[in-house]
Amino acid sequence: MTAASNTRVAAALAGLEVHEEFTDELVAVCPEQDLELKLGTLLQAAGLADWFATTLAGRPPRLTAVLEVPTDPTWLVVHADLSQPAFPSLTQTSHAASWYERDILEMHGLVPQGHPAPAPLRQPPSTGENRLRGRRHLHTEDPEQRHKAVGGPAVTGQGVFRLPLGPVRSGPQESGGFSFMSGGEDIVVVDMTLGFKFRGIERMAEGHPPDEVIQLAERLAGISSFANALAFTRAAERALGASVPPAEEFTRTLFAELERVYSHLGTISRLAEATGLLVAGAQYGLLKEEALRAAGRLSGHRYLRGVLRLGSTELVPQEVDRRWLHRQVTEWVTHTKRLRHLLQETSTFVDRLESTAFLRPEYAAEHNLVGPVGRACAIDHDVRRDHPYGAYSQVEFQVPVVADGDAKARYQVHALELEQSLAIITQLLEKWPTNSPPPSPPSVRAGSALGWAEAPGGQALHFVTLDDEGLVSRWRARPPAVVNWHPFAHACASGNNLTDYPVIEASFAISHAEFDR
Amino acid sequence: MSRWIVGGLRSGIRTTRFPAAGVIAEEQAGSAVEMRWGQLTAAQALSVAASCPTEAITASGTEEDGTLHFDAGACVMCGKCTRQLPEAFVPVLDPRVAVRSRSQLQMALAWESGRPPTPVDLIREAALVQRRAHRLFRHSLHIRHVDAGSCNGCESELQMLSAPYLDLHRLGLFFTPTPRHADALLVTGVVTANMEGPLLETYRAMPEPKVVIAAGACAVSGGIFANGPTARGPLDRLLPVATYVPGCPPTPQALLHGLLLAIGQASERYGQDLGDDDDAT
Repeated sequence: MTAASNTRVAAALAGLEVHEEFTDELVAVCPEQDLELKLGTLLQAAGLADWFATTLAGRPPRLTAVLEVPTDPTWLVVHADLSQPAFPSLTQTSHAASWYERDILEMHGLVPQGHPAPAPLRQPPSTGENRLRGRRHLHTEDPEQRHKAVGGPAVTGQGVFRLPLGPVRSGPQESGGFSFMSGGEDIVVVDMTLGFKFRGIERMAEGHPPDEVIQLAERLAGISSFANALAFTRAAERALGASVPPAEEFTRTLFAELERVYSHLGTISRLAEATGLLVAGAQYGLLKEEALRAAGRLSGHRYLRGVLRLGSTELVPQEVDRRWLHRQVTEWVTHTKRLRHLLQETSTFVDRLESTAFLRPEYAAEHNLVGPVGRACAIDHDVRRDHPYGAYSQVEFQVPVVADGDAKARYQVHALELEQSLAIITQLLEKWPTNSPPPSPPSVRAGSALGWAEAPGGQALHFVTLDDEGLVSRWRARPPAVVNWHPFAHACASGNNLTDYPVIEASFAISHAEFDR
Repeated sequence: MSRWIVGGLRSGIRTTRFPAAGVIAEEQAGSAVEMRWGQLTAAQALSVAASCPTEAITASGTEEDGTLHFDAGACVMCGKCTRQLPEAFVPVLDPRVAVRSRSQLQMALAWESGRPPTPVDLIREAALVQRRAHRLFRHSLHIRHVDAGSCNGCESELQMLSAPYLDLHRLGLFFTPTPRHADALLVTGVVTANMEGPLLETYRAMPEPKVVIAAGACAVSGGIFANGPTARGPLDRLLPVATYVPGCPPTPQALLHGLLLAIGQASERYGQDLGDDDDAT
């Protein structure tokens, strides 16, 4: 964060004037007519981390882009107020913009001009139910029509058939619709129907104090409850200028890592079961249940809900619990290492994953993928390291990156990250701060800020705007699933068979609830 | 492969003896919240209701005259009341919290002229007891799960039912992919507008007799999403619910109790010590 930081240089080169500064965040305002040119220039040097709209009564619609310059911990937030319900599309410059713009179109009725396939992002069977504001959009049920609408190819030919899957799935799984076009065994094209679980969670937050919205953020997605709530809480705290004492920061970091542990254990367990290794699945399942119970013992909730509070946490683990956890983690380290070596030597497992659901690193980079999916495609990025928060600057850890881009690479990233998370927990417990000052409740004021956290599935980015009474007027949640569902269909159609599908799904490990919101 | 078998055998039998051996204190986290009204003052009742994020605790009136309504089915286990008034709101560590009648999870208090709050008799709707289903499914139940808009927390816990700790197969319980083979419909999540159709279609595809189980605060009461823009639930507005499992998400043992309760293999525990005994079985 020197005066000549890369982000600042990039903003200056694009001709943007920085008008507000936080720690790790620069805010600029861009005139509507320069949007295409200036953001286009910026996107040459920066990645698009989020791109969303805010439509509040009595104010012009506002577009916000969140950009990330590599090797710089400072985020760049660019706002642009619109005078008309349309804006120039950035999709031709950055593929990552495509789904964000379809989301803006669906939720706010702002038209991305020049978008190659301007269709609503969520394609559920009902009509217009999921729009937040503005005109209703006609959804179409005919797959041919839908292909036309989303710009995907409609496959026809002798022997080509359509295999629908979902929204009600076979086991205890989340609801989501898929439709495979196949010539027999191979997956030619996958058409995803996302949005069945749309709950309107962002809108529900409006007009409520941030302390209450934490409860909602925790229920964005079960398996990343803590990380998403942490990103939201940090956004609200940054907007209010609140600070968190070290003991509470350690508690948050500890719980965030514990969540990564049980989430990754669950992912590997499901992946092993998808390849038919039931014993391996059961062994990882045992460890996941133990981790969930540890979370329950430490926080009173198996999914760590009800822990976060603005500027503080509801509890700090007692020393006796911390010592108990230390012993427990030492055991888990032994078990996970043993199981990882066993899995790597099991040919039925490894062969099944190799070259399955392959994504090119260039494709991943174009779409700015996050989390284990991105890191399995050589994207060396992790907000814990690149935008440090909480107690992460006080611990040492590695960010595993693999370049193969297939299901095996995603498995490896998950398995290695699991061991890193256990190592972080051990370090936190050993370095636990003493004589931490008591937390002070934050003041009430207007403002807006960005908050981030590394969820098990990748970077969770939340943007919060508070009004004069300190109530949430806009909450934008961009959990990792929003980014990582984008390449899913592409990966499925990279020369895989229908029987590979369970492996593909387990290796991506992304939540529908997180995407649908 | 043989190393897996040896490794698996070496970890021994880890499966819980729940429910045969009663409750084993494995869970440190509560499965639901219980209200112990004895210590509660009117002022506390009013303040605790204000901090509840859902409609689990609602109060009206003043410190002089007023009422409080407690609904464990709407509780999302946020821990606000249990930290604020640990004497009056207690996490239930016994996982047998599933009930057959929605009102079994509810309780009301009233106070007047500054006297301390006392319980009010609620109108208890009759529980939906499906004797034929109990008789037919006694030894084995095939479950069709539908996620009607949950956060994936309930699914995560349902997946833990198949893990060795709980192992639902030992009790004759199985998940089935097709509704045609299913005896029970287990629904999680507040029913969203987009999932209403698929949910009802699944229910219609199931043969008679069939039982419906609402699992988790969202399905039971709407939970935190009760007033959401796309919420069509709670589930009993759409389907005849035989068993309610509270929790956000319900613990795996609570889910197991709910499944056994639905086929008459377990009995209701929650709220029983409060003197409400309208259970027909």
